[in-house]
Amino acid sequence: MSGSKRALLAGIVASGLLWGQAARAEDVVKIGQIEALTGATATYGWMSAQGTKVAVEEINAKGGFKVGDKTYKLELLQMDTRGEPREATVQFRKMMEDKVHFVFGPFLTNVFNAIEPIANQNNGKFLLFAGATSAHNALGKPDHDYLLRTWNWDAGSVGFGKLMVDYLKKLHTKKVAMLFQNDAFGKTAVDIYSGLFKDAGIELQVELFEPGTKDFSASLAKLAAGKPDILFPGYSDAVLYDIVRQSTESGFGNRFFLVRGSIGPALKNKDAIQDYIAYVPKYFESAEKTEPKVKAFIESYKKIFKRDFPYDQAPLCSSSCYDHVYMLVEAMQKAGTVDDVAKIRAALLNMTYDGLWKIKYDKTGEAVFGFDVIHVRKGGAIETVQYDPTKE
Amino acid sequence: MTQLVIGQMLNGVIVGSLYGIIALGVTLTFGLTGIVNFALGAFMMFGAYATWYLYDVVGLPYPAAVLGAVIFVSIVGYISDRALFQFTRGNLVNGLLVSIGMISVFEALVLAAFTTTPKDLTYVLPGALHVAGIVLPKIKVAVCVVFLAVIFGTYLALTRTWLGRAAFAYAQNPEAAALMGVRTGRLQTIVVVYSTALAGLGGGLYASMYSIEPTIGSAYILKAVEAAILAGVGSVIGALGGGIILGVSENLGSVFFPSAFRDAYGLVFLIAILLVRPGGLFGDRP
Repeated sequence: MSGSKRALLAGIVASGLLWGQAARAEDVVKIGQIEALTGATATYGWMSAQGTKVAVEEINAKGGFKVGDKTYKLELLQMDTRGEPREATVQFRKMMEDKVHFVFGPFLTNVFNAIEPIANQNNGKFLLFAGATSAHNALGKPDHDYLLRTWNWDAGSVGFGKLMVDYLKKLHTKKVAMLFQNDAFGKTAVDIYSGLFKDAGIELQVELFEPGTKDFSASLAKLAAGKPDILFPGYSDAVLYDIVRQSTESGFGNRFFLVRGSIGPALKNKDAIQDYIAYVPKYFESAEKTEPKVKAFIESYKKIFKRDFPYDQAPLCSSSCYDHVYMLVEAMQKAGTVDDVAKIRAALLNMTYDGLWKIKYDKTGEAVFGFDVIHVRKGGAIETVQYDPTKE
Repeated sequence: MTQLVIGQMLNGVIVGSLYGIIALGVTLTFGLTGIVNFALGAFMMFGAYATWYLYDVVGLPYPAAVLGAVIFVSIVGYISDRALFQFTRGNLVNGLLVSIGMISVFEALVLAAFTTTPKDLTYVLPGALHVAGIVLPKIKVAVCVVFLAVIFGTYLALTRTWLGRAAFAYAQNPEAAALMGVRTGRLQTIVVVYSTALAGLGGGLYASMYSIEPTIGSAYILKAVEAAILAGVGSVIGALGGGIILGVSENLGSVFFPSAFRDAYGLVFLIAILLVRPGGLFGDRP
């Protein structure tokens, strides 16, 4: 074989390989996820990441999804920020360099604040499905077309926080003591709820605690001295179990109101509490019996992760994850593209998705979905009030 | 207000005794091996999870669960010593790097096995003691008594037994101790394993008071190192004293000032002490 023939053959083989790779690359849609999977604040990120994984595996197991004539599969790239902003910026920058068009997360306010400037620089090139509370204030701002917030907002006419404060008012509450972690989210929550309680004519007493605190006796004793009607602790079960136990055991208070966290601490201390009112995006224990989609999700979760279903943390699967992956796929199909992010965003804003939750986005790009308010009373009796702001 | 202050002072003593038991492990390990074992916090976390598993999942009685956890953590401590720590003797930096690496590995293992969902042990001793308007949870009082007994027991063992005296001798002059027939390698392994057992005990009793999650050890090892420095590294009773001072200053600081800066109150106290006594409260004067 002459040298020119060998070169020609090598060229044909090489171009064939390259074409094959290009074809494979086109058939995959990358989804990035940037969440704390380990570390003290990992609860939200860990559950969100699991919800995303379940959706991606379900879709790929069915052979992927069609957009136009092509069938695509999803490739999930999950990064562990450990809740550290510096770590998150490195990982997020890498995703942008790798041209990932869809990024889920972050849930944590401090991480969102850190990556926001990098995201702004990449505006128009990707969509960010963030659950972080601080993302609310960035919605609709210039250079923020990439941003979608995947969680109900606390305040506003259909805000769950406002509905819950109204609920407290009906219980003749005069004074609330707020005990939150001294971090970016804690301060944001104090800002949001100071306004809501003021509007409702309820006096508010605030104490912030050091991240990592497990013994809340001093803070609880201080707050109890102000004789509040109800304690408003936050914001994850990692502290709620301890706060509820220490508060009831030492007689600092037995009435609780919370807007993030599960009802697990109430059920654990059911004979010691008087009231425990919690915003729970979905009460899975009950929904499993009445909603086939919830039942299927739980079975899928158990099959994929080969472990018991974490009922108390399950609602977090809604944030930047399970339903939103399906919603994104449907939006890509409606938009007829997998990479024109402006068209996909427009499709997302114009649809209502009916999955585990009924979800739609408002005109700013913030999710609105139905949720439950659970009132646990002494002895463990549970009363569920369901709200569906998507109808309004 | 008086009740609030006294109540929080007593609570500080209880919390401080937990810092003290881990600080005792820190000070013993440092004295005999020359390394600051930051992984003791992770051993404490292991002890907490092992106790939860044996008590709530397997169904053992609580004391048996704690004993099982201590044995389990001691075995892990022994394996860690033979596989890793024995190669870092006398080398502070290498020991530090190995122990920090172990924290990541241990936390990742527990996270993979039990997720981040907090585990809250079935209450062992519910209820509280009410004395003159001061409320103290029964479990905290019981745990504090056990910690005090273990720390004083360790002190007695170190001062009244041959092994304890050998340890003191080694800490003061390793070569002379070796020449007097002390099997130094074995002694170091015993101390490393005993320190991890103390951390395991700390974790087992911690789990009866607070909810547990994979990262609980990190905060407590820092407090323990603070307590050891505050007391003066090498002092057994000082480790307890340092822990209690730290616990009380954090609790009282949180009463009079914002609890958002709880850790800072202990640190301010530590700095103030070190300015006056650089060797720590119970340590040797330089």
